[in-house]
Amino acid sequence: MRIRNEKMNISVLGLAVQGALATMCAMPMLAYADAAQDAVAAIRRPTNSVEIGVENVSQKSAKFGEYNGLNKSGTEFIGNFSVRGGDAYDGGNGTLRWGVTGTDLGTTSRELGATVGNQGRWNLNIGYDELRHNITDTYQTPQQGSMGGNAFTLPANFGAFDAATSPGVRTLNATRLGAFHTEEVGTTRKNTSFGAGFNFSRQLSLNFDYNHLDQSGAKLMASAADGRAATTGTWRAEAVSILMNPTNYETDTFNLALNWVGDQGHLTGAYSASIFKDGYDRLSWQNPMLTNASTAAAGVYQTITMSTAPSNKLHQLNLSGGYAFSSATKLSGGLSYGRNTQNDSFLTALPEIFLSPKASLDGLVITKHADLKLTNQSIKDLMLTASLKHNERDNRTSSGIYQYYAINSTIAGVDTARNAPYSNKKTELGLAGEYRLDKRQSIALAYDMEKISRWCNNYAIAGSCLVATGNSEDKLGIKYKLKAGNDVKLSAGYSYARRKVTEDNNAVTALSGLGGVVGVGPMDVNAQNYPGYSSMTFAGRKQDMLKLGINWQANDKLDLAAEGRYAKDKFDPILGVQSSKSSGINLDATYAYSENGSVAAYASWRDSKKDMRIGGTGLGAQNAGVTYAALVAPTNIWSNQLNEDGNDFGITTKHKLMGGKLELTGDLSYSFDKSRYSTQVPYLATCGLATVGTCGDLPDIKATLVALKLTGIYALNKSSKIAIGYRYQQLKSDDYSYNAFQYGYSSLRLMPTNQVSPNYSENVVAVSYMHDFK
Amino acid sequence: MSKWQRIIAVCAASVGLGLLLASATPVLAADAPKPAVANKDVAKDLVLRGDAKCTRCHDEADSPELLAIATTRHGVKGDARTPSCTSCHGDSEKHLGHKGSAKPPSPDRTFGKKTLNSAAERSDACLTCHKGTKRTYWQGSQHASNDVACSSCHKIHGQNDKVRNKKTQTEVCFTCHKTERNETHKISAHPLADGKMACSDCHNAHGSAGPKLLAKNTLNETCYTCHSEKRGPFLWEHQPATENCASCHTAHGSNISPLLKSRAPFMCSQCHDGPHNSKAPYGPVAAGNQGGFVGTNPTENATGRACMNCHAMVHGSNSPAGALLHR
Repeated sequence: MRIRNEKMNISVLGLAVQGALATMCAMPMLAYADAAQDAVAAIRRPTNSVEIGVENVSQKSAKFGEYNGLNKSGTEFIGNFSVRGGDAYDGGNGTLRWGVTGTDLGTTSRELGATVGNQGRWNLNIGYDELRHNITDTYQTPQQGSMGGNAFTLPANFGAFDAATSPGVRTLNATRLGAFHTEEVGTTRKNTSFGAGFNFSRQLSLNFDYNHLDQSGAKLMASAADGRAATTGTWRAEAVSILMNPTNYETDTFNLALNWVGDQGHLTGAYSASIFKDGYDRLSWQNPMLTNASTAAAGVYQTITMSTAPSNKLHQLNLSGGYAFSSATKLSGGLSYGRNTQNDSFLTALPEIFLSPKASLDGLVITKHADLKLTNQSIKDLMLTASLKHNERDNRTSSGIYQYYAINSTIAGVDTARNAPYSNKKTELGLAGEYRLDKRQSIALAYDMEKISRWCNNYAIAGSCLVATGNSEDKLGIKYKLKAGNDVKLSAGYSYARRKVTEDNNAVTALSGLGGVVGVGPMDVNAQNYPGYSSMTFAGRKQDMLKLGINWQANDKLDLAAEGRYAKDKFDPILGVQSSKSSGINLDATYAYSENGSVAAYASWRDSKKDMRIGGTGLGAQNAGVTYAALVAPTNIWSNQLNEDGNDFGITTKHKLMGGKLELTGDLSYSFDKSRYSTQVPYLATCGLATVGTCGDLPDIKATLVALKLTGIYALNKSSKIAIGYRYQQLKSDDYSYNAFQYGYSSLRLMPTNQVSPNYSENVVAVSYMHDFK
Repeated sequence: MSKWQRIIAVCAASVGLGLLLASATPVLAADAPKPAVANKDVAKDLVLRGDAKCTRCHDEADSPELLAIATTRHGVKGDARTPSCTSCHGDSEKHLGHKGSAKPPSPDRTFGKKTLNSAAERSDACLTCHKGTKRTYWQGSQHASNDVACSSCHKIHGQNDKVRNKKTQTEVCFTCHKTERNETHKISAHPLADGKMACSDCHNAHGSAGPKLLAKNTLNETCYTCHSEKRGPFLWEHQPATENCASCHTAHGSNISPLLKSRAPFMCSQCHDGPHNSKAPYGPVAAGNQGGFVGTNPTENATGRACMNCHAMVHGSNSPAGALLHR
């Protein structure tokens, strides 16, 4: 076990890069101290800038500061700079250019970068980018262990509340409640990058890019322990805990590319690699149902062990290029071959694991890609395009039989499953033609075909590993564009797509025959789903899409735009998602009311609906030979709809006063989103009772975001400005999923965390001084 | 590779490259432009080679914003590849030969809002030099076939090109992509609004071999650029996750965290109807007592993270005990 102290984790490489950046930052100050320039020389020189200031955040909020580093109340430092230089700006034959930039230096969203290059010859760049993702500051847990660590235990006096107790009577007494403490959960990403380029000649160049991503902290995840009386085997329902799953990750990414550019053709050959390493091989936590190891039994453990993301590698060779047969006929294409491997040692000596045939996966996925695109405009007004693409994920990992204790397995029962190394390949053909009817109008037709196959190599038992072994889709589209005069542009498009699925209902999926005899199958049909049910992802469907757009440049000052879209999917299966619809309208207007001012506004409306029809409980077993007709009566089907609405409004204005010395900007936006689930269970008369609650509407999931930004920038002189900014942002959200995390709510089926749906009302005031210099 | 190994590797690469550059530069000097000749026209050039015929009118008093091209890569005269005004705007003889006080005819090729040149003509001016690499798939791409020209997004004459700055890039993209603009305002979104991510982190606006102009060949490959911990291969794979992250997630923003298209248990019911609890209907019970349910035991199958309370490893598990994606 390793405990990672995030605060002390100072990246040496990061420090080295920052040191180099700081040194480079100092260079320009000296270089330009005495520069005297005439008007043209001044134009040639880049404008450098430095901004320093402070901003005050009114209250602590992880959600407001989710990505911007402003999650704490109080004062933050504002620091931004951009400095460039080099003899390339002298107007002579110099080609040296360098630049150093820094943004948001006072926050955990800081970024630093530097480039230097002899243009046309070589270039180097380094960068450092930090991003703290604040997930929550209200999360509470009784589990002890640091955020970012991978081992959590309950305090010794927590006691078991206990395996023999029904969830309804489990309680958190004062001692247990006292064990709860708040953790600020989030992840920190630190990217350090280095890049270099070298031009051997006008035709030949080499580029190298390297990026090191260091990720620390944690994300929240759930995990369940079995609640079972250890001695009697009486099941007492799961006990779910929300845990801080550590993100102790490092990813190194390389790309080396050799580029050749000729008069008629160009070619790039590249090698890239992505090496992911997880510092932990497990996450362990203590089962609150069982704090005494002596009472543990098969299926019930004191310490629960979760696997973590295994370290993996991807090596890829890429080749892409193009050739112009003539100015009218051009070809482009690419090839790619990748090896994705993973061979982390499996967890061993754990009570959950009964039989593991291997010590590690020795996983191998080969990815292949090929594409070709031909464009032709031999006829002046007709543009033709033909393209062909192939992508393949060939999982060559072996398949084996594994035995283990699952949550909710019988006390002496061992579950059996075989791993399914999924492979798929997709081939796409595209044909398109656009014909210009005259100078004002054009019409485009397109046909796209897509075929997908899915399989498993080396599957441990005979039969297909999945039901939807293939899909094919044909799509036809038409688009019309019109320029009415010089001021109005119209476009209208419609497409129709038909997707079909090839299914093997006798597939023996990874979990078919769960608990059954190894190698015997098929025990189930349709992957244990009801006959007639298909997954939305693969199901046959018809799709209609319509898009309309108009843009009117009323005059030099006023620009208006409107667009609308509508999409409808109708799915084939009797059970499963039946249909989905979505529509949206966007309106935009920009008005430049004077040389010194403009205003822009937008408004958007969108809604979507998805209908689902599900075979309910009580339909009997899904055994082989049982038909849909024999199983499903209409009264045994329940349905569910998801309705989503969203509205956005925004207005932005800019205005210059006092002869341009004072620039005011204002930005107001409002966004509202709502999601609602409705369920109907016609076969259960009591479904609507408050004690049953299986039909009816769930409370809306709502979020309203209002943001106002006001900025005034006053020019003290040609090179100095004072900026004063005020920002108000309010989020009101309501999400029923947080109900389960409240104390006393769920009879301890789910350990409370006190997390609530995010709400905040923030005021941020900023004052900064900006200095520009040449 | 340890941190010290990485530092040594980076230093070694830098030193090696520096030595290579130092030795190679003289060889490349042959590619450099010839020294300025004492020619009358050349002497009048202000910022670009051969710009004198243009800058005699468009000088620092008339058009300082045009001359700001000097601060860009195009303005580096020492680089033999950089253009003159006419490289992009055409010879424009009518424009140059115009006399009198009336408004002169436009140059052969213009790039502003009122241009009469087609998007293809405008882009050709750039693609003459900017061939290959990221622009390999420009021809016939979504942008090219929708009359988007390079100049629709890029500012050529200014020092600051909004679309090449992570903080401001979305302002440019959202000019057309309004649905995506709205989606980034949702409660769950990638950090685009905070300028910590740019559209170009995932998309190649110049054309790509991937879907939706994605930078990589497939959607999953693009997502794994940052989320490499989900790449696997895992012992226990979740098939839709291996094929298409968008089976469950939406990239630009969602009302349901984290960037989900729907919520468990309903989202799971879109693919599972039969095994275990996936056939069970849920209504207000999923919202627990606060949602109107008055029973004593709201089920953990529907509340909180619902299915993912137990099936937590939805992206794949590498535990021999993880067949059900529990561990």
